[in-house]
Amino acid sequence: MLEVRHLTKVYDDGTVALKDVSFTVEDGEFLVVIGLSGSGKSTLLRCINRLIDPTEGEIIWNGVDITKLQGEELRKMRRQIGMIFQHFNLVRRSTVITNVLSGRLGYTPQWKSLFGQFTREDKEKAMQALRRLGIEDQAHKLARELSGGQQQRVGVARALMQEPKMILADEPVASLDPVLAHSIMQYLEMLNQEDGLTVICSLHYLDLVQRYATRVIGLRDGRLVYQGSREDIRAMTDEEFKNIYGEEAERVSGGLQGELQSTRGGEA
Amino acid sequence: MSKIGHQPEGVRPPSLVPPPLAALFSLLIPGLGQVLARSIRRGLIIFFSYITILGLMIWRFRLAAPRDTGWLNIFKKALKLDNLLLSATILFALLLLWIAWDAYQIARHRERTPVGVFFMIILVFFALGWQIGQIDLVAMVAQMDEAGPPLARVLWPWEKAIEREEETVQAFADIQVPCVGEPPAVNQVSGDEPTLVATPTCGELSTQGGEPGTTLHLEGYNFSPDNPVAIKWKDPLGNVFRQRQSGEYVVVTPDADGHFAIDIVMPYRLLPPSADEPFYIWKVFGEQVASVGPAHLSKDFKLVVEKMIETIFIGMMATFFGVILAVPVSFIAARNLMSASPITLVIYYLMRGILNVIRSIEPLIWAIIAVIVVGLGPFAGILALTLHSIAALGKLYSEAIESIDPGPIEAIQATGATWLQTVVYAVIPQIIPPFVSFTIYRWDINIRMSTVIGFVGGGGIGFLLAQYIRLLDYRSAGMAVWFIAITVAILDYVSAEIRARFV
Ligand SMILES: Nc1ncnc2c1ncn2[C@@H]1O[C@H](COP(=O)(O)OP(=O)(O)OP(=O)(O)O)[C@@H](O)[C@H]1O
Ligand SMILES: [Mg+2]
Repeated sequence: MLEVRHLTKVYDDGTVALKDVSFTVEDGEFLVVIGLSGSGKSTLLRCINRLIDPTEGEIIWNGVDITKLQGEELRKMRRQIGMIFQHFNLVRRSTVITNVLSGRLGYTPQWKSLFGQFTREDKEKAMQALRRLGIEDQAHKLARELSGGQQQRVGVARALMQEPKMILADEPVASLDPVLAHSIMQYLEMLNQEDGLTVICSLHYLDLVQRYATRVIGLRDGRLVYQGSREDIRAMTDEEFKNIYGEEAERVSGGLQGELQSTRGGEA
Repeated sequence: MSKIGHQPEGVRPPSLVPPPLAALFSLLIPGLGQVLARSIRRGLIIFFSYITILGLMIWRFRLAAPRDTGWLNIFKKALKLDNLLLSATILFALLLLWIAWDAYQIARHRERTPVGVFFMIILVFFALGWQIGQIDLVAMVAQMDEAGPPLARVLWPWEKAIEREEETVQAFADIQVPCVGEPPAVNQVSGDEPTLVATPTCGELSTQGGEPGTTLHLEGYNFSPDNPVAIKWKDPLGNVFRQRQSGEYVVVTPDADGHFAIDIVMPYRLLPPSADEPFYIWKVFGEQVASVGPAHLSKDFKLVVEKMIETIFIGMMATFFGVILAVPVSFIAARNLMSASPITLVIYYLMRGILNVIRSIEPLIWAIIAVIVVGLGPFAGILALTLHSIAALGKLYSEAIESIDPGPIEAIQATGATWLQTVVYAVIPQIIPPFVSFTIYRWDINIRMSTVIGFVGGGGIGFLLAQYIRLLDYRSAGMAVWFIAITVAILDYVSAEIRARFV
């Protein structure tokens, strides 16, 4: 179980990205974080694996306060949490297989990894992961030679290599077309349902939220303004919606197939 | 021309003076009319261009007629001497009229901005540039054929690449002066020894008064064919001098059998009066410098090759040291690594400043400085090129570091990797390709530079080339040029290959 308590993040320049955010995530949940651009979704996800150090608050995961971890302990915690990024964040000039294997770095002795020495099991596991995602034939290409959808699958494979207990996905499909978006989301759903991984995922498309989330939280200006189940979001009232997306926001096509991006206030 | 114009951003406010007056003002002080027509920037540009041209003209006139005084004299003399100056002056006068016309137009049409006057200004500058640059196409064409022979030697210098050992062949004949009693025996041709047969074997020298001496008939045998033979004398005191015939040294070329025949008049030569010798024995001889033994590479060829190797190594060592030192420097000069605190930011700005200064000074000038410090030779060249490479590579490397994508770093950190693993897996793969590419580029430049750095004493083939050119040894210079060209061509190919492979 993941418990976020009174989490606050103030950036060096004074931006308050998160303000007193508290919520809990049960193991095996598929939690979707929604909110306008700049509402603090990425900051929240990065606080959970400490790519960003929170200013205040606690994040208790299975009884351990993540915010207090340092050095070796921090790295051991990180390797149990896979992360998937909007822009894939692959090392574009390295091969696909190297990118996938780098998911094992947390388990590999430092001196061995410096010379690219991964165990045979790791290499097999990497090929297996690629096979599971249907891109094993791309293994020896450079990451940059792949299409966006393929790159994101490499990103998923890299996260899988960590044998994670939890997956953080920061807008994993925002740079993909709708069909690819569904296929990536289906992988996440499969991991969530078959392997029992906890997934915390930020999303922009309302239909994806409704299709995949088991629970939803909404952020606005760094504050938690909404919590609900999948059913709740289907039944979301205009008032709740405006609470998350601001007064100017308008729902498109009744919110069922709607795309929240098009309702982002001020941007259009 | 004045019709060419583009639509201005806004229409000018009306002119302060009527158009003819604007033209008149511009005639007195170029640009004033435009200023009064409320086109101030235009007026200023015209004014300063005009002043600059005027200054240049005065300078060139004085230079063309340095001995004259009084501006009218200078003016007349210079125009007479220098046609180019004449055309520039005509254009200059035209420009003044055009400026006045421009002022008229500007004052009259508020919405039109003709550009003709600027073309005119550029044209006058161009004419002056032609005169200042002493551009002389006629001389270039006229002197082309004079440049032919040396150029031909540079273009095809390889005769000089091969040489053979040389041997001096001499064949003597004794001549008794004067004819007293029994003259010396006539030489007999024996075997294939070079032999000179002179008849008669005694005679009188020419006198100081111009009375010609005895004519000798010389026949040479067994000389090396088609190779000139100099006819020389050795007087009884052992001094050697050359036979002249009507002012020219006598040289004969043997035929295919090594045989020649020539008549010479015995020369005049003052000898110290001697005691009681009744006669002297003089020696006449034919002398030939013959190539013997197998052909081998010439000394100059070997020197050129040695210096070329030296050159390549100068470029290599400079690149090597440059890269090693530029890597740490580039980290200090990368903004994204140094923006953490004000102190590091100051260091960053300092480093950038130093690099810019070093880079803006040409390697040739650094080489001159290095020669002062460490003396002539390759080390000075290496120092100069290293310094410039550090600055140039430091900047390029740091820009590569600045442009790395932080995404992968974040992703690798998220897997639980250590700092070192993050550097190896996320940072290095991103900077290796640009680093390799920049390094090859620099290597390329350094080898090119090392070929000329010798001109200022920095060692390498440039030193030799400069020397050959000064000695007018165009063949050897040609060999050096060829080697430089070949090396650079190979280098181009190799670096393109490496780049294609790595980047
Ligand atoms: N490194 C940083 N330094 C300062 N401010 C930051 C930094 N990163 C983010 N912010 C600010 O923090 C706030 C939250 O940003 P965050 O990236 O978490 O939003 P987001 O919900 O992920 O937005 P998006 O949907 O556009 O990705 C924004 O106002 C942003 O400008
Ligand atoms: Mg974000």
